[in-house]
Amino acid sequence: MTKKDTAKKTVAKLKKNKHYRPAGKKREGNAARYMTRSQAIKQLQVNLSVFRKLCILKGVFPREPKKKVKGNNQTYYHVKDIAFIQHDPLLEKLREQRAYQKKIHKALAKKNEDLATRLRTREPSYTLDRLIRERYPKFVDALRDLDDCLSMVHLFAALPAVERLKINVERVHSCRRLSHEWQAYVARCHKLRKVFVSVKGIYYQAEVEGQKITWLAPHAMQQVLPDDVNFSVMLTFVEFYETLLGFVNFRLYHSISVKYPPILDPRLEALAAGLFYLYALTRYMNGNTKRISEEQESGSTKPEHTRGQLEGAQFEESELRLSQLQHQLPSNEDRALMHLIEEDDDNDDDEDTKKCKKLFKNMKFYLSREVPRESLLFVIPAFGGVVSWEGDAAPFTEADQSITHQIVDRPSQGHMYLSREYIQPQWIYDCINFGVILEAHRYLVGRVPPPHLSPFVDNEAEGYFPDYAETIKRFEAAAKNEVLPMPGVGKDDLDDPQLLLAEGYLSRTEAIEVAERKKERATSEKQYLEDLKQEVQGHPDATASIAVEGAQVEEESSRPHLEQVAEDTDGTALMMMSRRNRGLFKAMKIAKDKKKAKVEKLKQRKKQIAEST
Amino acid sequence: MGVSIPPKEADRLKNIVDENGGSSDEFDSEGEASEGSEVSEVATEEDGGSSGDEDASTSDGSGLVDDEDENEGSEEGADANGSSSDDEKASASVDDGLESGEGSGDSDSERSEVAEESDSSEDEVAPRNTIGDVPLEWYKDEQHIGYDIKGKKITKKERQDKLDSFLASVDDSKNWRKIYDDYNDEDVELTKAEAKMISRLLNGKAPHADFDPYAPYVDWFKWDDAIHPLSNAPEPKRRFIPSKWEAKKVVKYVRAIRKGLIKFEKPKEEPRFYMLWGDDSGAADKTNHLSYIPAPKPKLPGHEESYNPSLEYIPTQEEINSYQLMYEEDRPKFIPKRFTSMRSIPAYEDAVKDSFERCLDLYLCPRVRKKRINIDPESLKPKLPSRKDLKPYPSTCYMEYIGHKGPVVSISTEFSGEWIASGSTDGTVRIWEVESGRCRKVWEFDEAVQYVAWNPMPEFPILAISVGQDAYLLNTGLGNEETQRKVGELLHVEAAKVSDDSS
Repeated sequence: MTKKDTAKKTVAKLKKNKHYRPAGKKREGNAARYMTRSQAIKQLQVNLSVFRKLCILKGVFPREPKKKVKGNNQTYYHVKDIAFIQHDPLLEKLREQRAYQKKIHKALAKKNEDLATRLRTREPSYTLDRLIRERYPKFVDALRDLDDCLSMVHLFAALPAVERLKINVERVHSCRRLSHEWQAYVARCHKLRKVFVSVKGIYYQAEVEGQKITWLAPHAMQQVLPDDVNFSVMLTFVEFYETLLGFVNFRLYHSISVKYPPILDPRLEALAAGLFYLYALTRYMNGNTKRISEEQESGSTKPEHTRGQLEGAQFEESELRLSQLQHQLPSNEDRALMHLIEEDDDNDDDEDTKKCKKLFKNMKFYLSREVPRESLLFVIPAFGGVVSWEGDAAPFTEADQSITHQIVDRPSQGHMYLSREYIQPQWIYDCINFGVILEAHRYLVGRVPPPHLSPFVDNEAEGYFPDYAETIKRFEAAAKNEVLPMPGVGKDDLDDPQLLLAEGYLSRTEAIEVAERKKERATSEKQYLEDLKQEVQGHPDATASIAVEGAQVEEESSRPHLEQVAEDTDGTALMMMSRRNRGLFKAMKIAKDKKKAKVEKLKQRKKQIAEST
Repeated sequence: MGVSIPPKEADRLKNIVDENGGSSDEFDSEGEASEGSEVSEVATEEDGGSSGDEDASTSDGSGLVDDEDENEGSEEGADANGSSSDDEKASASVDDGLESGEGSGDSDSERSEVAEESDSSEDEVAPRNTIGDVPLEWYKDEQHIGYDIKGKKITKKERQDKLDSFLASVDDSKNWRKIYDDYNDEDVELTKAEAKMISRLLNGKAPHADFDPYAPYVDWFKWDDAIHPLSNAPEPKRRFIPSKWEAKKVVKYVRAIRKGLIKFEKPKEEPRFYMLWGDDSGAADKTNHLSYIPAPKPKLPGHEESYNPSLEYIPTQEEINSYQLMYEEDRPKFIPKRFTSMRSIPAYEDAVKDSFERCLDLYLCPRVRKKRINIDPESLKPKLPSRKDLKPYPSTCYMEYIGHKGPVVSISTEFSGEWIASGSTDGTVRIWEVESGRCRKVWEFDEAVQYVAWNPMPEFPILAISVGQDAYLLNTGLGNEETQRKVGELLHVEAAKVSDDSS
């Protein structure tokens, strides 16, 4: 009996005959439930690369059995997972493809070019939609897993097409398109929450249907293609992710009643080939939804005119023509319905979205040549701003008097308009992360901007507040017109900071530390008093007063030993714990100490820097 | 190499052959050796007179070729130096042999002429050296490089030292044209024409500038006005009837088209994307599969990953150096850097690698659902009673028992609690009254006392001690007379035995 047969039997056993056991073999528990990778490959009768592809597409991952029957350095798959792959039509399709490739090879070897080309036109292909539905039965599931998908698609959109690595142009273009479509949706619906410019790229966080989706878009630079990377694995992932993102986009676009894939104005399409696909998309989306509502309101093309003036005469006629077409359409009810939906949509927005929508309202931005345009074209409209740029097809020029902010990233600016602020791009990102419009003076041209902080860090949990975070907090509080209590001090002793400052502590942080120490002391005293009280209640006889006195005397004498006492109790407590808990406790303590050491290091460095300057 | 013969020379050779009455109407450049030799003989006789001045021009080698009337001289020089392939040399030497066998003139000039004309493919001077095609290493350690035609040794030239040769080469402007011929042990200077020829060869062109490789094809065959056909065979039948096999093929194609195997119109493209998740309410949770464990999301970046972090996040140079000493696992993966403006951020070189590693994690790492405990570690500790609840207990020194000189190693309390016995390393055993601290009795021994113990029975207040190797039972003298008597009896009667046993 071959191994494959036994494996099959095992599967069968699990399914039908629970008590069947091959003669002379006792296979149950982990031995029957898990199989190693090589066993799995043998059972599926595929080679390793196909198995890898199947695993990636089906989302099958190894598992960790409690008891590793075949040894520790093996990868174990669940028998059910492998059976799951085995019954997938995809496996058969891949085999078919392989056979077909052989046919083509044969034709080529016989110098039958004709046949080969004819065969090539009808190559069998597979679709992944079924797999996506299987892996993500609900839309929310797909959104939950979208992080890796978006990061990967954005990365591939920035990669060069290299034939040697089989990264072909179509793939790169489709990744680019998909990523822009996603960004257009996020911008249109104001779903973007946080942006963080890191060395690795730009992190974006959006909140779609209650799911926080974070992705990383690399900087717009030539990417390095290392040699020690297996691109076939990555390409398989990208293949799946592309399809997934396509379906997700479809669903999202439909939710705001925009056709997908978007059909762009042919003129815009020409532009869309380049950098402005995103812009064209947003325009398309806005146009599609806004136009209807606007027309409903005014019943004329007036708003179109004003907008057209703003955005340059180039698009004016097409807009006009379209709006006229819209006007001629008899489906008034439909439009009314759309209008209602639009209204509903506006009301439906949650608190965050409303806030995000309004952040850059009534602001007009102009981007210089050197700023990261793609990112800003995505981010600024997402927060309600109007944006233009230097170059082709810009909606308005630099000379426009209504521009409020010009974003520049150069050492010095030659000609300056007095009516606007000249700021560095970091200002935009910081405003978004803190949720307020910050003062521009720290971000002016030629200055070194203040540190850019990560919006993903919970400073309080981390235990360390960078200076700038504190400054911003103060600023926010001042904006809200409320007095911010010192961190670590209760609200009831609000006067404490002044007191502490009066005591001559120079820096705020030091003052906080002293306050903490004081607080500690206060709590220990309180504890002591409580203990005393208990004792008094426990011995209400005549000797009580003496006992109390004695205790006090004793307490005073043992003050210096307090630390010793604490250590002793800790030691005994540790001894009394179960072994498991003790291990856990120690691990937790190590983690805590590490964190503390990190914070200490930061503080120490800060001190050094302060001293050196 | 296939050297093309200049037309002039070819003509001349032809003439020679014709004069000789030879039958060959076509000049064969790759002619056989015997034929070649025949030709050469004729040539020797014919051109005996003119060979003298030719030889003069070739032997010195460096003679100005441009001044010469005849083209041959330059050709000879070129081939002698430029292309001394082994075959040519070999064939030349064979010719020499033939020549000497016949015993003709044997002069140098004649020989050179022979060499020139003997083999049409090589127009070269026979080498001075006659060793033939043997490895030159054989003569490496010898004083001579070989033998000349008369069998005399040709001695090696004196080697110039490096410095001299270098200086000479620097002085000589024509140095780049000089080549050392180690077969003949002489320096050969190429002429300008030769250098040009070499450069043309290096460029992949024909050596002679006037040779046209793309000359228009001349069709010598007369196609028209021929009376007879080329072939007299009758036209075959297959030229008149339709082909069976073609018909079969057509049928095959027709069938394939009918079956739909061959389609002419392109398959209609269906929209790739559609509403996949139409109605989520229908998608029930029930699946027969195992529970899906979602991969943990990648860690979100902290302040230190910013392009412009606060200064305190950037490690000092010493710290960065100290990372080198760490184990590779402990080494931080990411070292924060600071850029003062967004325009100066470079591309992140590990972007693809990071992404690839994430891919590997996703499909290669075993996934296990683990509960993450998020509690205060202090809550794990068991609740201990507070010290105050354990009161009363003595907390100050109440009594001191003074008397021992050395450290006390053992104490024991008497049954009633009235007395304490203590044994010390100074060799004394003392009995103390607990209440007052008075020392009631002292025994002294030679060695340190190791252990003291009271008899637990109240009627016999006896103390047992161990000192060195011995154990003693001591009558403490406590209790009333009755008990004293009993103890006395007990110890007295058993004294001898006990001491015997103990020792």
